Amino acid sequence: MKRFLETGNFAIAEAAIIAGCRFFAGYPITPATELAESMSLRLPQVDGVYLQAEDECAAMHLCIGAALGGMKAMTATSGPGFILYADPFGWALGCEMPMVVLNSGRVGPVSGITGAPGQGEFYNTRYPTQGGNYESVVLAPNSAQEAMAMVIEAFYLSERLRMPVTVLADQLITDGWEDISIPETEEEMKEMGMRFWPRKFHPGPDFYPATDALDIPPVQMGKNTGGLCSDWTPTEQGYDIEEVEDHHKHAYRLIYKVRNNRELFAHHYEKKYMDDDPDLVVVSYGTPSRVVNTAVGRARSQGMKVGSLRLINLWPFPDEHFTRKAKYLAVELNWDGQLVREIQRAVPKDSDVHFLGICGDLPTNQDLLETFDKILKNQPLQRKGWEMEAW
Amino acid sequence: MKDRIELVASGFGGQGVVRLGQILGEAGVKQGLRVTMLKSHGTEMRGGYVRSQVVLAKKVVDSPICESPDYLIALSSAAYNRFKHTVADNGLIIYDPDFVEEVDNTLTCSQKALPAKKLAMDNFGKPLFSNSVVLGAIAKLLEEEGAVNKEVLLESLLAIIPKFKEENKQAFELGYKSI
Repeated sequence: MKRFLETGNFAIAEAAIIAGCRFFAGYPITPATELAESMSLRLPQVDGVYLQAEDECAAMHLCIGAALGGMKAMTATSGPGFILYADPFGWALGCEMPMVVLNSGRVGPVSGITGAPGQGEFYNTRYPTQGGNYESVVLAPNSAQEAMAMVIEAFYLSERLRMPVTVLADQLITDGWEDISIPETEEEMKEMGMRFWPRKFHPGPDFYPATDALDIPPVQMGKNTGGLCSDWTPTEQGYDIEEVEDHHKHAYRLIYKVRNNRELFAHHYEKKYMDDDPDLVVVSYGTPSRVVNTAVGRARSQGMKVGSLRLINLWPFPDEHFTRKAKYLAVELNWDGQLVREIQRAVPKDSDVHFLGICGDLPTNQDLLETFDKILKNQPLQRKGWEMEAW
Repeated sequence: MKDRIELVASGFGGQGVVRLGQILGEAGVKQGLRVTMLKSHGTEMRGGYVRSQVVLAKKVVDSPICESPDYLIALSSAAYNRFKHTVADNGLIIYDPDFVEEVDNTLTCSQKALPAKKLAMDNFGKPLFSNSVVLGAIAKLLEEEGAVNKEVLLESLLAIIPKFKEENKQAFELGYKSI
């Protein structure tokens, strides 16, 4: 095991290489530039290919090309680049091409603030392209070490599910430095819970049947199945068609190969102080959860019955954690409230759901403790100079 | 050492605030500690506002934010004024009087002037080495805390800044002695 003080970007690059990624195309953007830089250094050392694209749209299209050529591919960006993936993301989902997409959240909208963390792409990562008729898989780590693990897991899931998988990080994870342990042997990787899946090849001659089954390998250009990389609706044989019945079969596969196989990744969450049915459940993901965990510990020592639920698997949204009627508080790095809406949808009727937003910085323990106290005492939430909506 | 030590360094881009955090963090890792080091900055790297937040801990670091730092290294007036009130009551502000002209005497924490830029200019004729002076001073303080050994910190400095080794070493020793 090697131990370094390094950035999350560095850890993610090493993770991708461990997972078998041999193609990276990207366009520089803070706070993911050093990831592209690391890949430009590391990939040639392992016979991989690094390409700087003319923009993010081209970068993801290049990844589709690499995936169709049989390679494990990855691209990375921040919010302003993630929206430029919209076109190739649809293509990758529709053609069922495995790859990993990393989005390191900064403050938005548009260029916003480059060197500060934000969580404005909760829904954006669920709906990264137009047209609907698909499910998305999104994993959200809260540290550089976990980002490493989740990138490896994303490669694993993308191969088994035959689709792009998004890792949603933030500026503090990718740009921040942490002590990182990098496994060197297979035993160490196994101990760290890392799972791997090799690229396999579709035997052809047909495309994909209308099934929710896992582990049907993706097609490869020029091998058995021909060039099945069209943006049209495919028949089961892989020809273009514009018929509702064929489209229905295609959409069924895109949606249910994820929905019916959630046990593959639904275990990615963290619960603290949740065993005694706390009065208030604080829900978060990404780096804010690290402050939440501290604050919940302190709240417990002050006698407040509070628990912490950290989501790592964000999409499909894990409704199963929200079956109990309680008070819920979503802590997010945005001012508009995104995760809170999904919690509102998932909780039992008449549950009490609140929102604490901050953007560009993490909340403080004091902010959190005061908020917990007010919610538990049924007092209104108000921030200085900020009128809270009645969540 | 305590369970957790928080150190904030802040100043202008180009002063080496991020490098300082990195060297300190690296030394922490070599010492077997758990470490986080966050950097925040504006779009411009040179001349703009920069802050690094280092947490050294015995166990996994939960929150990487320095809410009440044990040490504040203030290398600009703006940094001093922005973070002086966050420092813990038993904490310490180290400021460079070449950059921090007005000192707030109402603060409850301790404060110490470290003329790092002047020491660097007087001894090496260049402000470049003032960062190593600061690191030397931090080495002294963290050694007293029982957190990081002086030699380990110096080793990290010389590993991360491979140029001007002799000058950096001397500047580090100057800082170590002047606090």
